[in-house]
Amino acid sequence: MKRFTFFGGKGGTGKTSCAASCSLSMAARGVRTLVVSTDPAHSLSDAFNTPIGNRMVLLERNLWGLEIDAEAEAKKYTDSIMEKMLHLVSATIVDEIRRQIEIAYMSPGSEEAAVFDKFIELMESAGKDYDAIVFDTAPTGHTLRLLTLPGILGVWIEHLIEKRQKARKLMEVAARYDRELAEQLKEDPVIEALSARRDKFELARKILTDSETTVFHFVLNPEKLSILETDRAVGMLGKYGIPVGGMVVNKVIPKGAGPFLDKKRLSQEKYLCEIRERFASGPVVELPMLEDDVQGMEQLRIISGLMGAVC
Amino acid sequence: MEKIKNTLKKWWRLFALFHQGAFLDRRMAVVRKEAFDINDNLMLLLFGDFIGIPNPMSYYMLELLPLMADELVPWERRIQNRKFILAEKAAQYDFDT
Ligand SMILES: Nc1ncnc2c1ncn2[C@@H]1O[C@H](COP(=O)(O)OP(=O)(O)OP(=O)(O)O)[C@@H](O)[C@H]1O
Ligand SMILES: [Mg+2]
Repeated sequence: MKRFTFFGGKGGTGKTSCAASCSLSMAARGVRTLVVSTDPAHSLSDAFNTPIGNRMVLLERNLWGLEIDAEAEAKKYTDSIMEKMLHLVSATIVDEIRRQIEIAYMSPGSEEAAVFDKFIELMESAGKDYDAIVFDTAPTGHTLRLLTLPGILGVWIEHLIEKRQKARKLMEVAARYDRELAEQLKEDPVIEALSARRDKFELARKILTDSETTVFHFVLNPEKLSILETDRAVGMLGKYGIPVGGMVVNKVIPKGAGPFLDKKRLSQEKYLCEIRERFASGPVVELPMLEDDVQGMEQLRIISGLMGAVC
Repeated sequence: MEKIKNTLKKWWRLFALFHQGAFLDRRMAVVRKEAFDINDNLMLLLFGDFIGIPNPMSYYMLELLPLMADELVPWERRIQNRKFILAEKAAQYDFDT
């Protein structure tokens, strides 16, 4: 078992059902487990048939659930910034800042950034109140952006730090004849803040690319589109060095389900073969299509009993 | 916090002093100018959306605002006033030759 287990894949394939089931079986084995949804459209509550929100709730012995609320996280963040602003004197500056915060609030990356911060925070505290985290992720695109954020931003922040340092170096040259001024140049809270950010991204990147601690399983259905999307995503994770685990093929129609479904099953079989061929490097698990939606502990336990190879 | 504020204040006073150029020889003035330009460019990368340049990472830049607040308003003035910037450039060349 890895410390961080992700379930990802195309929309509606069964990520939430699998993440919930997997977390349940970990908890049953005595591992203190947190199951977290990073999908802005949360459905963990539906899977467990219990309200879960932006606060950790106990779902079972050894099992806690959490649905990250991007807006609430962003609010906490901006509130703390505004609080620091109050120490500054000029009212015009405070107004400017408030305006800036409002613009940033609406910019496209903000929600992801807010989710990402919470995500790092949770990973950092693993080992304290819980030993393992199972992530129920948003459909592929969103999740790939989230996971590749540290790699991309790390480079960018590094560039910012260099620029600031260069400016300061020149200032130092200019201040060469004034020892007192040179002394004042030694500290720069901006560089410190940027470095702290960079270190956080680096930590996240390290965790996400460490196959000892992290694994990313795909949930797919035996159908064309879901295979194609998974294939692309596997390539993308590979490029960023995020370890791919197994394939969970969900909603496989059981034998003898009636003439109509038998036909459907035949087409599924073709795709099952394709999945086994294409993704031969890890385990492939098949989960049957159940009669009812996967909702509540009883259904989840059925699924978790079948996920042994990946969870 | 108080310490950071003080450091900032010192920093800013330093910038202001540089601006006056009261104690600098001409070569130092050019170096100072370059430092300013680099810092202005940096500010553009950090707070570009302030003046309408989209910055996908502006969320993370917010935490720098309390640290750079003092630099922000003069920067915005400089960057928005093209004439001013051009004049500054011209002055720099005059200086040089
Ligand atoms: N094996 C199954 N048998 C029957 N129904 C299933 C099965 N797996 C999932 N479902 C149902 O399919 C729907 C989608 O499943 P789920 O929410 O787990 O998918 P998801 O990949 O998390 O979706 P989203 O992309 O919307 O987050 C749910 O209603 C769920 O109950
Ligand atoms: Mg889901």
